[in-house]
Amino acid sequence: MLEGELRRRFCHGDPDAVRSIYRSYGGLVYAVAYKVLGERGLAEEATQQAFLKAWRAAQSFDDRRELGPWLAAIARRVAIDLYRREALRAADPLDSVPSSEPSLISSPESAEAISDVWEVRRAVAQLPADEQEVIRLKHFDGMTHVDIAERLGVAVGTVKSRSFRAHKRLAALLGHLRE
Amino acid sequence: MSTSDNDRIAYLSGEAVGSLTPHERAELDELRMLLETPATWEEPDTALEDSVVNAIVEEARNQPGGAAAPAVSDEARTRPARRRAPSLRSRFGRPAFAFALGAFAAATVAAVIVALAVGNKSATPLRFAMVVSGTPLAPAAHGSATLTKTTSGWRIELAATGLPHRANGRYYQAWLKNAAGILVPVGTFNDAEHVTLWSGVPVTQFRTLTVTQQQANGDPASSGRRVLVGTIRAAH
Repeated sequence: MLEGELRRRFCHGDPDAVRSIYRSYGGLVYAVAYKVLGERGLAEEATQQAFLKAWRAAQSFDDRRELGPWLAAIARRVAIDLYRREALRAADPLDSVPSSEPSLISSPESAEAISDVWEVRRAVAQLPADEQEVIRLKHFDGMTHVDIAERLGVAVGTVKSRSFRAHKRLAALLGHLRE
Repeated sequence: MSTSDNDRIAYLSGEAVGSLTPHERAELDELRMLLETPATWEEPDTALEDSVVNAIVEEARNQPGGAAAPAVSDEARTRPARRRAPSLRSRFGRPAFAFALGAFAAATVAAVIVALAVGNKSATPLRFAMVVSGTPLAPAAHGSATLTKTTSGWRIELAATGLPHRANGRYYQAWLKNAAGILVPVGTFNDAEHVTLWSGVPVTQFRTLTVTQQQANGDPASSGRRVLVGTIRAAH
């Protein structure tokens, strides 16, 4: 919940309050935008627009609601608007079309898919740093336990046990996604 | 914890587990896909924080009765997020994801365009250059590549050191990748010191160059064992 004083300062455009909210939710808002747009520059543009829209709407924000899902909904709407804008750039020569051109790739991500990314990212952020690292190297970088052990300079058994702990925590944190 | 829970965790971590139902596998496969998606791991440029703060402060100042103080310089305040000059960016800008900073960040995807020579269109071919960096599988590897548009396609001249010679059915393969993760093979080789590759897809769309270790085992797909990565960053 957005605390009263922080919210008041946010609404007034107080830089420290805006920065505080950005530091709490900027990464998650960016993840939503990136999931929709698939390109850093556009995702950053969407993130900035989403925070601006949130600021404009903050006066009417209901304190009883959670801030995170509210920001995620704004970010998704902004990102889809950008996605459509980019898709309308049909007159550009082929070589000038950005690699992220959505019309060349796919339809906008569903709200459910975006929500899942938000949840997974939040869950990963709750892991201890050494477990986050193993999860990232394993899934995002596609490394084996042996590769990870070499990379981190630890025994393969250590990687396996760390990996098991991390996945166990993730399974517990994300169990609701399977329901 | 039940055996089934342990099996689910093992499967989630990528191990082969035979005791799960197809439904359980499907659910866990979805979770694995989410853990592999770039959106779960990508971080914005650290400068975005200032852009967001200053965009809001600027708008607040322009409201009737608004008087919020600027947070940083006027130059930064008036700079939209997408129009920032390209810079060498860390993928891990926030504390929650800071575990991979330092050596890892220096050795992996960090790549930056070092020259973007569009020049005189009537005489100079469209040409890009990029730095390529070693991944954790080959942290000592590094080099550069130039990508030149020709009438036949894009010629990619790669020069990298720190990669051992591969032979006897083991080889390197270069790929171009677009933002959707679609890979296009652009050539195979044994030594990376001076390699000429060719691409039939535009590097303006397929901006990431990767090199993987491969084996001639009948499977033409990428092994996923990336040893070099570089990305063209467009100048705005």
